[in-house]
Amino acid sequence: MLLELIQLIVNGLVMGAVIALPALGLTLIFSVLGFINFSIAAQMSIGAFAGWLVNTQLHWPLLPVLLVAFVVAGLIGVASDRVALAPMRKRPSSHMALMVAIVSIALNLALENALRFGFGSGLNSFEMPIARDVVIGEIRIGPQQMHNLGIALLVAVLLAAFFTVTRVGKAMRAVADNPDLARLKGIDPAKLSNLATFIGMGLAGIGGALLAIDTSVDPSTGARLLLIIFSASVVGGLTSLGGAVLGALLVGVAAEVSLLAIAPVYQSAVAFVAILAVLLIRPSGLFAGTAGVRK
Amino acid sequence: MFSFQRRNVLRAGAAASLAGLSPLAFSQGKEPIRIGILIPLTGATSQFGATMSLAAKAAAEEINAAGGVNGRKVEVVIEDDQSNPEAAVRAARKLIDIDKCVSIGGSYASAVTSAIAPLCWEGKVVLETSSGADSITRLPHQGYVFRTSPTTSLQGTRVGDFAVELGAKRMFFMGPQAPFAQSYIDTISAIVAKSGGTGSGLIYEDKKASYRSEVDQALRFKPDVIVFGGYVPDTAVVLKDLYRAGYDGRRIGLSFGVNQKLIEAVPAEVCEGTYSLVPSAAEGSSAYKRLVAKLKVPGLDSYSCQVYDHVVMTALALASAPNAAPNGTTVRDHLRNVTQSAQGKLVDSPADGLKALAAGTTVNYDGASGPLEFADNGDVKGVFFRYEQAQKGALVVTKVA
Repeated sequence: MLLELIQLIVNGLVMGAVIALPALGLTLIFSVLGFINFSIAAQMSIGAFAGWLVNTQLHWPLLPVLLVAFVVAGLIGVASDRVALAPMRKRPSSHMALMVAIVSIALNLALENALRFGFGSGLNSFEMPIARDVVIGEIRIGPQQMHNLGIALLVAVLLAAFFTVTRVGKAMRAVADNPDLARLKGIDPAKLSNLATFIGMGLAGIGGALLAIDTSVDPSTGARLLLIIFSASVVGGLTSLGGAVLGALLVGVAAEVSLLAIAPVYQSAVAFVAILAVLLIRPSGLFAGTAGVRK
Repeated sequence: MFSFQRRNVLRAGAAASLAGLSPLAFSQGKEPIRIGILIPLTGATSQFGATMSLAAKAAAEEINAAGGVNGRKVEVVIEDDQSNPEAAVRAARKLIDIDKCVSIGGSYASAVTSAIAPLCWEGKVVLETSSGADSITRLPHQGYVFRTSPTTSLQGTRVGDFAVELGAKRMFFMGPQAPFAQSYIDTISAIVAKSGGTGSGLIYEDKKASYRSEVDQALRFKPDVIVFGGYVPDTAVVLKDLYRAGYDGRRIGLSFGVNQKLIEAVPAEVCEGTYSLVPSAAEGSSAYKRLVAKLKVPGLDSYSCQVYDHVVMTALALASAPNAAPNGTTVRDHLRNVTQSAQGKLVDSPADGLKALAAGTTVNYDGASGPLEFADNGDVKGVFFRYEQAQKGALVVTKVA
């Protein structure tokens, strides 16, 4: 029983690692721009396809593949944001955040279908060897999944450094804290919103590529995980980057450990319950406040 | 304004009556007969959608080249079910209410078929389906449902027999929540139990990025054969996680999960040795060979052949009753007469069938997917299976039975 529990926790950490990067991206964009950009799911698929293309056509290895996934998803993220979402944000309205979030759902569908148009609906595979699990004691650990976890933690640390050390990072936090005050101080929120979208969608792109290496590349690669990613961000507080990583790991572990009590077929209910519980008990999220709280 | 309208009405009336008199191939005044095709062009079950669409169009072309049905053109109206019951219901409503289709063919995923079947029998439209779930023909469909794909119990029986043939003592089934999942577990377990073994199973959620915990649960059962009941996206992940976990026992899947698309989606070592049971098209038949040649493809899956046959069966059923109203009920009442009439002239193409019917001969159409004989509940009888095995990144046929 104890061994089973430990194994489920390990599996949950693995699952959490896969969703941590997109959750970070979602959180970053919400912190700076103030709305939930649901097109992150399609950006994950875009990152997966970009990485898959350079991997299978040019035979590039993992790290450059992830770099390509980051840049391509980031650029398309910014371009689609400029075209579809930025004009919406310019219309002042009390429902602005909600409206933009809804338009981002439409954008998500448009991008996903563009991928389908270009690449078809079939599944594709990376040309990367698949490793057998390592068994420690009686616990199985996937080396590849541990890489994912390591990369997610590394990126979170790099981001934290970026936000505390660099001028631009500090400016972003200022915008996140109080956009009007930041503007008075001469910070241009529009420029920063591009950068935040680029980094956020780039992270989703890396997450998508890592996910696709584990599973497969198809236009719905990202969409399958959107609910659990959103849940991780909400649990993490939606504005805290560390919270996003912790939220992802927590939701991942909760979903796997829940298998002790519920049938596997109801597993995604755990993500719903997590959102509900956090909103009811601690609406600001479990880990809110470490990187600035948006009012 | 009024006079313009009246003039137009008069003009249209005159044209229509002229058309009625002129000896044209198609009656100009009459609308084409519309046959709905509801297929997965997108989503988890979309792997056969593109060829299904081509097959449906090919059938309509052949029928129209042979002069149509009772002097009317047929038109296939193709809708995407998105592998999603909710989208399928919207599409089926359009096919029934707006396009006034006489039948709906295609309908592939069992969840999709279960969702639209009541719309069809309530709307008195024939549903020709390629789905497997036993529950579908147990619905009170009043004869409006015809199934050209083998049922889950038949497929499950074949899988169970095959597992026993491979020497299985402990069978474990893994598949997503679908109308057929539990039915597979029960059928296969019963067959394995009869030969002295035991069976069990697990039904999982189909949109996960990892099935490590589910695989752990399966391996605790110490299975010597694992049966997959999923579609391609989830089966790909389950197979990878089984490989990572070091399972190297026997694996059997069904063609909607283990097929060429899956082979392309996972590294070769991950699915090496996995068996797949495929409802076989009638590959020796001339209908199959003609269709393959027409579509210029090396071979066709059973499901696309079934969609071709769906269109042809509807057309022949209506052609066999030229005096009845061309609607779903007529299709229902005459479909068996043109596919399983013992005295009927054996035909394998819509052109031959239409010609024979016009000459007053009864026909027995044997299609690209098989002989198309239906039991009272609408289930097709006498289908063949191909047994395939993944070997070095390709599917190799081991037997057809």
